[in-house]
Amino acid sequence: MRTRDLTGDTAEMVRTPTTERPPVRQATKMQVNDLAVWYGETQALHGVSMDVLENEVTALIGPSGCGKSTFLRCLNRMNDLIQGVRIEGEVTFDGDNIYAPHVDVVELRAHIGMVFQKPNPFPKSIYENIAYAPKILGQVRKRTDMDELVEHSLKRAGLWDEVKDRLEMPGLSLSGGQQQRLCIARAIAVSPSVLLMDEPCSALDPVATATVEQLIDELKDNYTIVIVTHNLQQAARVAGYTAFFHLGDIVEFSDTDSLFTHPREKKTEDYITGRYG
Amino acid sequence: MTDRISLTPSRHLKKRYRAEKRFKAYCVGALVLAMAFLVLFFTDMIRQGYSAFYETQIRAEVTYNEDTLEFTMDSVSEEVFPLVSRAFFRSIPRQVENNPELMGTTQTQWLTAKADVDQYRKGHSESLDPEMKAPLEQLQADGDVGYGFNKGLFFSGDSKIPSNAGLWSAFVGTFYLMLVVLAISFPIGVATAIYLEEFAPDNRFTQAVEININNLAAVPSILFGLLGLAIFINFFGVPRSSALAGGLTLSLMTLPVIIISTRAALKAVPDNIRQGAQAVGASRWQTVRDHVLPLALPGILTGTIIGIAQAIGETAPLLLIGMIAYIPDAPGSLTDAATVLPAQIFTWAGMPERSYVSLTAAGILVLLSLLIVLNATAVILRNRFERRW
Repeated sequence: MRTRDLTGDTAEMVRTPTTERPPVRQATKMQVNDLAVWYGETQALHGVSMDVLENEVTALIGPSGCGKSTFLRCLNRMNDLIQGVRIEGEVTFDGDNIYAPHVDVVELRAHIGMVFQKPNPFPKSIYENIAYAPKILGQVRKRTDMDELVEHSLKRAGLWDEVKDRLEMPGLSLSGGQQQRLCIARAIAVSPSVLLMDEPCSALDPVATATVEQLIDELKDNYTIVIVTHNLQQAARVAGYTAFFHLGDIVEFSDTDSLFTHPREKKTEDYITGRYG
Repeated sequence: MTDRISLTPSRHLKKRYRAEKRFKAYCVGALVLAMAFLVLFFTDMIRQGYSAFYETQIRAEVTYNEDTLEFTMDSVSEEVFPLVSRAFFRSIPRQVENNPELMGTTQTQWLTAKADVDQYRKGHSESLDPEMKAPLEQLQADGDVGYGFNKGLFFSGDSKIPSNAGLWSAFVGTFYLMLVVLAISFPIGVATAIYLEEFAPDNRFTQAVEININNLAAVPSILFGLLGLAIFINFFGVPRSSALAGGLTLSLMTLPVIIISTRAALKAVPDNIRQGAQAVGASRWQTVRDHVLPLALPGILTGTIIGIAQAIGETAPLLLIGMIAYIPDAPGSLTDAATVLPAQIFTWAGMPERSYVSLTAAGILVLLSLLIVLNATAVILRNRFERRW
């Protein structure tokens, strides 16, 4: 039985564990406190708070424009790249505020990886796609170590068998689903502890989606995963915890089973039953 | 009952089709007109210029000895002498210097004829001095007069002797000029574009810079000549008429072209490549160097080549910095007085002798060919690199 209650409600509401593993007390990997984001004059997030548990998949759902992608991109400071963005509040990563002045974004992003909505492999070979980040971060120096890392990462992403004979082919020559798995392999090659996924399956067909979902399930033993998805079934399938976003606020956040079976908020219920959104 | 739908064109549709046909006809007409002007220009240039690519030559026995080294006119027979270009006699001491074995021998050679003879034979002038006409007819009867490739057009510099005038010094000047323009405007232009596109914040200052750069591209080129004169020659003391002064001036003109095309090439690189790189922990500069620049390179190179091609075809700014002078010898360094191809064409166009008319047209053909080669290179480069991924 999990004892941590993410919504501030009593422990009785917590559902049965989704996995067969014995219940463990999980540590909080990232903590978001009162996060508010403005794009110019428009406020995209209205002071939201949430905990991300270690080695767990947290799904963010909600209608388009509700702020879930903005929220996700605050977790590795990708929003910093946008002109005219203003961010207030606190996001901690292993207890450190990532918006503190001493934090280096480049360093941070090596620890918090990201997979994007549209597969975006580098216009280089498959090998180079994986090897690039460990090389520039100075994690791997020897060619043999690099070969090993590339193989390991591709195996973790379930792509090795399909590409092992053509590592020198351009990453863009792969199919959409393969490209997305290549991007996942690229992200885990630098051994981040958190993996952020922004609708990773929205450009994929059902078969490729199933492969990626299975992969997410396997990866959660080693990584903490936060995934934005429009596909409610996907959230139900892969996530242990789910947050429902609406108009820049978190309406409800709890373990996935209770959110989908006994939503506490009317809005959540309307959304998951397809009445709006 | 509803009316049966008719699938034959209605009156309204027929009207639309007619309008479509009319519009298409206008477009085709415009194209035909443009092509006609181009064909007219080219045929005229070729018609005027082709005769400068070959020259009249006269077969004669040339004697090399102590006397003819001093009195070079004695090296050929009296009949041949009035027909042969003065440039040949001037070159005898140099020939002997380069090839001492010639001393004391007599060689049968094809010699470049005087321009008057050449033009007369090509039918460009009606009359010929009787002093030349008689021996020419004699030699012609013996089969000692013919046509040969005009090597001088490419391998000798400018000359007041029309049969000896060529483009060599202009070639060398153009080459030096191109080097200077490339060395200055490529790195500065690309670096400026990278900063503006990838690093600079979007504020009033950068917007002002952007507008100014775009305006710079539209400034009449003669103003760049004034600027070059005032700054590079008068203030910094760069030698007048030198390839360095010309190159610096034309760099000012080429810079905006390179900056604008580089920015366009960088803008065309999809943003998700940058985000992907930064999400795995690449710094901004690493992102640009490893991912954005390789993708933008074909566009940057195309822009640069087109900018350079524009620069080597430019004449107006060079008038002001003295690059329009009579330069018979190829410059040996960047600071020597030099001339360039368009300036050479301009100089020849103002010469009174009939030979220079053909030379001018030939010069234009050579310059055009050079520009076509450069632009074709730009297109080939773009296509080749674009296909890679």
